[in-house]
Amino acid sequence: MMLSLLHDNLDYLLWGNLAQGQPGGLLLTVGISLAAGVLATLGGLAGGVALCMGGPRLCRVLNTLVQILRAIPVLMLIFWCYFLLPILFGIDIPGVLTVIAALALINAAYLSQSVKAGIDAIGDGQWRAAQALGMTRWQALRYIILPPALRAMLPSFVNQWITLLKDSSLAYVVGVAEFTFVATQINNREQVYPLQIFGLLAIGYLLLCSALEWLGRRAGRMPA
Amino acid sequence: MTPPSWLGQGWLAPHYLGWLLHGAAMTAALALCVSLAASLLGILLCAAQDSPLRVLHWPARLFCSLHRNTPLLVQVLLWYFGVGGLLPDQAMQWLNSPHQLALPLGLSLSWPSFEWLAAWIALSWYSACFISGELAAGLRTVGSGQRLAGRALGMSEWQIFRLVVLPQALRHIRQPLLGQYTAIIKNTSLTMAIGVAELSYASRQVESETLLAFQAFAVATLFYLLLVIATQLAGSRRSAEEPGR
Repeated sequence: MMLSLLHDNLDYLLWGNLAQGQPGGLLLTVGISLAAGVLATLGGLAGGVALCMGGPRLCRVLNTLVQILRAIPVLMLIFWCYFLLPILFGIDIPGVLTVIAALALINAAYLSQSVKAGIDAIGDGQWRAAQALGMTRWQALRYIILPPALRAMLPSFVNQWITLLKDSSLAYVVGVAEFTFVATQINNREQVYPLQIFGLLAIGYLLLCSALEWLGRRAGRMPA
Repeated sequence: MTPPSWLGQGWLAPHYLGWLLHGAAMTAALALCVSLAASLLGILLCAAQDSPLRVLHWPARLFCSLHRNTPLLVQVLLWYFGVGGLLPDQAMQWLNSPHQLALPLGLSLSWPSFEWLAAWIALSWYSACFISGELAAGLRTVGSGQRLAGRALGMSEWQIFRLVVLPQALRHIRQPLLGQYTAIIKNTSLTMAIGVAELSYASRQVESETLLAFQAFAVATLFYLLLVIATQLAGSRRSAEEPGR
């Protein structure tokens, strides 16, 4: 019985209606996470560098923004993006993009703090040595400070990517047909094996997150 | 000047504010219950991973990695639909019908709804894994020299833990733990997916009823900010009172 359920729904669970040009399921979850992950990483790096190199006024504005973003639930931020982005741009924006924007924003806020902490952890002596060699502040950041700082930050980046991957399941609340949404759809249709369906869903995420964790640990061990 | 059209017409009527306030109270109550249960469970998990009984190590570690590497929303759905489906029909009927426990002074305590129970268990188990991680990290900050010194003074293992290790570890644990309690407040928002009438659920309800999305989300966001700030203040107040800091 369970096997026939799996046989009937596995394609839909894995990639949604891909043949009709509507990717969904696990494939969409990976797509959302990749897009939001790249944006969040770039945003976090830019934010962290700005916190270290920018003036006091810029830092105060950025810090306030980060504090607010960290104090509200991701779900609330998705609601906000869902409601505000179409108004800001004056066009209809698909749910997938609003979710990507919300996830990128909140994770960039968390990552900017890790980047700032990572740069601060590199001793003052390094900055001064670079200055003594005639480097500008930006050259020192680019060639002296960032390379070891980024290596030290890798574990917190991997943790944040895992959080992002898990939070992509929240796209469910605005009706984006990702992995969790598709599973609840199947559950509503079949009504017989809720434990198996959601168990399978959990295993899917578990494999993705564990793979990410493993990759991160491998990359951390690689020689420079 | 007329307000922009996307702001909608007018402000929220008082009874909608009442819905949101009720949602905020529900969020606070759920977060409090989850924090209590998760702290207890977190201590047990931390003790199991640190215990001299090696057989306890891997089950505790497996429990944590299973919970940390799957989305909380999936765990909430699993408890609500999955475990709910496993319970016998009579149990579900009992859980879904109201029950009152009469207390003295004319007060009564009602048995929580099934979605509330599912949310409470799912959130507590999930948060306990993160709390146990913070506790273990805090205990590791106390150097082994401290334990050895305690032993040299003739203290028992329990005395060493109680008088030497714990007071020092608590100082390192306070801030991360406060972060976990904040995360619990934010995570209660996911329980709207199974119909717990907390703050996010209420904001969505008010929004669909009044079409005043901006106002509904703004009030809800403000309540979340207040709850989080209150938690942070309560935590930092406590650490300021601490002697020797």
